[in-house]
Amino acid sequence: MAEVVFKDIVKSFGSFTAVHGLNLTIAEGEFVSLLGPSGCGKTTTLRMLAGLDFPTSGSISIGNRVVNDVAPGERDIAMVFQSYALYPHMTVYDNIAYPLKKRGVRKADRAPMVQKTADLLQLTELLRRKPRQLSGGQQQRVALGRALVRDPKVFLLDEPLSNLDAKLRGYMRVELVELHRRLGRTMVYVTHDQLEAMTMSDRIAVMEGGKLQQFAPPNEVYREPANRFVAGFIGTPAMNLIDGTLANEAGAWRFASPGITLTCPPLTDDAVSGPACLGVRPEDVLLGEGPIRGQVQVVEQTGHENIVVVKIADGIRLTGRAGADHVWRPGETIQCAVDVSKAHVFAAGPSGQRLNRPLTKDQPRLAKEGA
Amino acid sequence: MIRRIAFNLFAWTIVLAVAFPLFWMVLTSLKPQFELFRRPPTFLPETWTVEHYWTLLSSTKFLTYFKNSVILSTTTTLVVVAIATIGAYSLVRFRYRGRESLAFLVLFTYLLPSVVLIIPLYLMLVQLGLSNSILSLVIAYTTFALPYALWLLRSFMAGIPEDLESAALVDGASRLGAFRDVILPQLLPGIISTALFTFILSWNEYLYALVLVNSDSARPLTTGVMNMLVSSFNIEWSLLMAASVMMSVPLIIVFAFLQSYLTRGFGAGGVKG
Ligand SMILES: Nc1ncnc2c1ncn2[C@@H]1O[C@H](COP(=O)(O)OP(=O)(O)O)[C@@H](O)[C@H]1O
Ligand SMILES: [Mg+2]
Repeated sequence: MAEVVFKDIVKSFGSFTAVHGLNLTIAEGEFVSLLGPSGCGKTTTLRMLAGLDFPTSGSISIGNRVVNDVAPGERDIAMVFQSYALYPHMTVYDNIAYPLKKRGVRKADRAPMVQKTADLLQLTELLRRKPRQLSGGQQQRVALGRALVRDPKVFLLDEPLSNLDAKLRGYMRVELVELHRRLGRTMVYVTHDQLEAMTMSDRIAVMEGGKLQQFAPPNEVYREPANRFVAGFIGTPAMNLIDGTLANEAGAWRFASPGITLTCPPLTDDAVSGPACLGVRPEDVLLGEGPIRGQVQVVEQTGHENIVVVKIADGIRLTGRAGADHVWRPGETIQCAVDVSKAHVFAAGPSGQRLNRPLTKDQPRLAKEGA
Repeated sequence: MIRRIAFNLFAWTIVLAVAFPLFWMVLTSLKPQFELFRRPPTFLPETWTVEHYWTLLSSTKFLTYFKNSVILSTTTTLVVVAIATIGAYSLVRFRYRGRESLAFLVLFTYLLPSVVLIIPLYLMLVQLGLSNSILSLVIAYTTFALPYALWLLRSFMAGIPEDLESAALVDGASRLGAFRDVILPQLLPGIISTALFTFILSWNEYLYALVLVNSDSARPLTTGVMNMLVSSFNIEWSLLMAASVMMSVPLIIVFAFLQSYLTRGFGAGGVKG
């Protein structure tokens, strides 16, 4: 069993609290990403799991064993650092062999293990080199090799791809997923890149300001963001978040802001009249026809689609995605609509809770609506 | 072009000005005594001789002093480097109350002129029954070499990424193991600079040696040679120059061996980003 459990974890540095009461249960064999903007406490969380930092309060367990007082080397984990942290004075071979050496594997037994890892990561040719003689991508693979050479219970990866160029990053994403599938080990992956988290994870733990915002599979995080922060953080181009007011009219909730009024999708009992926020993904904005009238401001062509920014009122913009075949021109007047069935309503405030009633499979789709 | 020539000329003038006394020392030590005071002076010796070296080695205590100096400087260097390394590690890696003020306090002791400390130190050593021994000098030199060594190593230590040590800990090393396997090799250039600094300091020190030691069996080269060759009535110039040459040789050897370490890379490439 290699279940990882954070229970009420708090971590303070002096008067500054980096992690506020984190509760997280990562299942055996799961690939979980800790996702959040820089400084939200991801690395601190990972270092506590590794035993390099100590929680101010709370407990951490790996495989039913509380590890608060267990030294890093005895937790049966392996870690890849963002900086790679290769030992500069050792060859690639010695770097990879080091964890084996420290765990008392005999010299003769180490060689085939290092060789196997090197083959897997295409490092065979580089075993005699020193880290400084390697490219960034090669260094990254050595760091990975040092983690893979043993068979630890849990792999910890701290932004392992962030120093690579875009193409290599895309390639390594696939490699890592493949590796996880093959090894079936628990992996905790820290990243600030939502694309990495979305494409690789079984579940994503979204963090912000040292607090867990949502812990769910990628499509759920995308389709049912728990709050406004998650909604705005996940997805590119970002979700349209429009501040307005919520009012109950004869049992139905209506949302109104300059330029848009619509009937909301079913909301929970937490909904109250007053300030609220409407969230609409760019793909749920229908361009070309509909009750909302606006003016095209910016058109970004990505090749396979066009991202169109429409100004619908002073200070209120709606971003939509359109096929690449129709080119909208800046300045042009445009009609558009919002797919209300896929719209989100959030309580007021920067991390306002999502108020939509949970989706059910046979929920009736509402008609397109707007204005 | 003109500027380059002018610059070269300038640089070489300085080099010559610095090097000339050294040349003169070597040349004088190789001239027979009667040639020294001739007017006008000869630049190269008319007769080359090594008799002064032979005299020093065979019929004076030079070798005893030399041995004392080697023991003294080596021991001091080992003690200072060992304590400074551990101290620097503590100052950089562990967080505790008063860490910064401690570091500054250490530097403060270095700012006191050694003349001020010499009498109290002497009295303390006498009370400890250590006066007139090589050990007393080791202790004395350690007191003023250590603060500087600590600061030097502290800055080197601060340049070693903490991730390296963390990685070693995760890989199964103990704290001591991580220190030995990862920190120490990274710190090597710093340790060598510190060792060199301490060695030269203790090899050349004069004042403390003069005050704290007055028996021939414990005298280092600096005071030993002065005592032996310089008196109020006479200075044995030839022997003095020969002794000076031989005193410089160990430093030159140490430098020749270590300078390649000093300039070698500081483990670049281990940590990116
Ligand atoms: N050793 C430390 N001392 C003080 N503050 C720290 C320390 N380590 C991290 N922090 C602070 O904790 C917060 C979270 O840091 P970190 O976990 O590294 O964020 P990230 O999510 O970018 O990995 C940051 O504001 C950082 O400044
Ligand atoms: Mg980080």
